Amino acid sequence: MNRRSFLSLSTASAAALLATAGMGLAGFFRFLFPGVFYEPARRFKAGYPADFPPGQPVFLPAEKVYLFHDPAKGFSAASAVCTHLGCTVQWSERDRQFNCPCHGSVFAADGAVLRGPAPRPLSWLEVTLSKDGQLQIDKNRPVTDAYHLLVPA
Amino acid sequence: MLKSILRSIFRGDPPSTQKGRSELVFYNLWLHIHPAKVRKEHLKLRHTGYLGFVSFFLLLILGATGLALMFYYHPYPAMAYQDMKDLQFVVFLGPFLRNMHRWAAQLLVVAVFLHLCRVFYAGAYKEPRQFNWVVGVLLLFLVLTLSFTGYLLPWDQKAFWAITVGTNIVASAPLVGPVVKVLLLGGHSLGTQALLRFYVLHVVVLPGLAAALVMVHLWRIRKDGGLAPSPSGPEEISSPPRETPIPSSPEKTYGLMGIVTGKPTFEVLVPEEEEAVFSYPYAFLREGAAFLATSAAVMALALLYNAPLSEVADPSKTPNPAKAPWYFLGVQELLSHSPTLSGILLPSLMVLALLLLPYYDWNPSRRPKDRVLALSLFALVVLSYLVLLLIGLYFRGAGWAWVWPWAKGAGGAA
Ligand code: FES
Repeated sequence: MNRRSFLSLSTASAAALLATAGMGLAGFFRFLFPGVFYEPARRFKAGYPADFPPGQPVFLPAEKVYLFHDPAKGFSAASAVCTHLGCTVQWSERDRQFNCPCHGSVFAADGAVLRGPAPRPLSWLEVTLSKDGQLQIDKNRPVTDAYHLLVPA
Repeated sequence: MLKSILRSIFRGDPPSTQKGRSELVFYNLWLHIHPAKVRKEHLKLRHTGYLGFVSFFLLLILGATGLALMFYYHPYPAMAYQDMKDLQFVVFLGPFLRNMHRWAAQLLVVAVFLHLCRVFYAGAYKEPRQFNWVVGVLLLFLVLTLSFTGYLLPWDQKAFWAITVGTNIVASAPLVGPVVKVLLLGGHSLGTQALLRFYVLHVVVLPGLAAALVMVHLWRIRKDGGLAPSPSGPEEISSPPRETPIPSSPEKTYGLMGIVTGKPTFEVLVPEEEEAVFSYPYAFLREGAAFLATSAAVMALALLYNAPLSEVADPSKTPNPAKAPWYFLGVQELLSHSPTLSGILLPSLMVLALLLLPYYDWNPSRRPKDRVLALSLFALVVLSYLVLLLIGLYFRGAGWAWVWPWAKGAGGAA
């Protein structure tokens, strides 16, 4: 074997080795992403409009959503996940605001940040009527705080 | 018969002779990380506080108790909390083992931190020990990650929300943050997958890495010429070259003799007879004592104080106030002021500054009076973190609002 063929052979082997290692790493990286997420659905049915009379917002614990019913404007839904670091905010009826227990963020009734480290207002979610007449909330469809669904009684 | 068996295991002379004492260290896999002789100065409690040993022993205790706990733990949300209750009330010695594991983990955080301060104060990270400082900082980081992953496993409210906040901090890192979060949790929120992943990290991946790094850390002590001499003692010099240096040449093949000089790369030249003693028994006795003291302290804590366990994790309800483990409270306090800046930027800058310290600290002197700036800066950083930590621990109540610790309803220790 002469010098030239030795060099090209070793370059080729090194390249093959690197490629194998790279593919292995990439494969492992992909492997770590689950193929299926066994998590609560992002779109869910909250119940019939009649279950939610106007008044205090209702907290849906499994989905971490506050459902508001304004007598004039209709239904709207706010995510209860604090935009700072993901703690669950609590509605205080007395002050009409959301409080986050983790780092003290405070959100107004329209979701705007009043105080604390939260960088963004709470997100509002689309509320629609499903075919069977239930309220359906979709976390994949953010809306503005002006969005309301009026359900004729 | 018995004698010949023993002779086959322990080959050296009996330790009643000086030769035997050296051989006892030299021929033993577990002991030969020690030199046959150590400098008297290094055995003094005042010199090191034995903090490295204490950290190492705490790691051993954590490994042993952790292994025991694994026999009664299922990393699955519906069972994990129940397992904690079983450990508390049903399993023989369960509370004791769990307490030991918890308190040893907290002591470890304290011990490695003090160890780092001690090494900094002694200037022991300077030439030729720069790299071992880097390994040490990586180990500190591993200890914190281990405690972070272990914190989730009981699956109680505290665990759930501390880790929710922690992983969201990770997610707020620029560019890679969200991807890393999904990788870490195996999903978008804390659930079944996340618990399993944290468990695997906590019991296999991270301990394995830590064990490997500990080996490097210890081995490097020897290769870098042993412990650094005290900052006020005689300076270190690099070992004198061998009498007939072996030239390096491409034509020649080398035997081991070409590399091994029998001397450390750096040493302090002192009369050996006066300054050094045999590791057996002087060093081993003290290490044994340090081990006993460490174990006794952990056991005493485990007998006196129960590891906390709050209610079972409830994703819909955040406890108020939600506090991280106490040593992370300084970060949490910073976080309450601004998210990315203090949660990601400041800690990463700190870690980077620590990692690279030996390479930008050009001052070669180890004497405290030559290092006033370095020492006061370090003290300033440590003190400000402690202040933030204490604020987070004692002065923050519901909604992270400021409360005086003596007022009613103040948030207690995390
Ligand atoms: S998570 Fe709500 S303020 Fe930090």
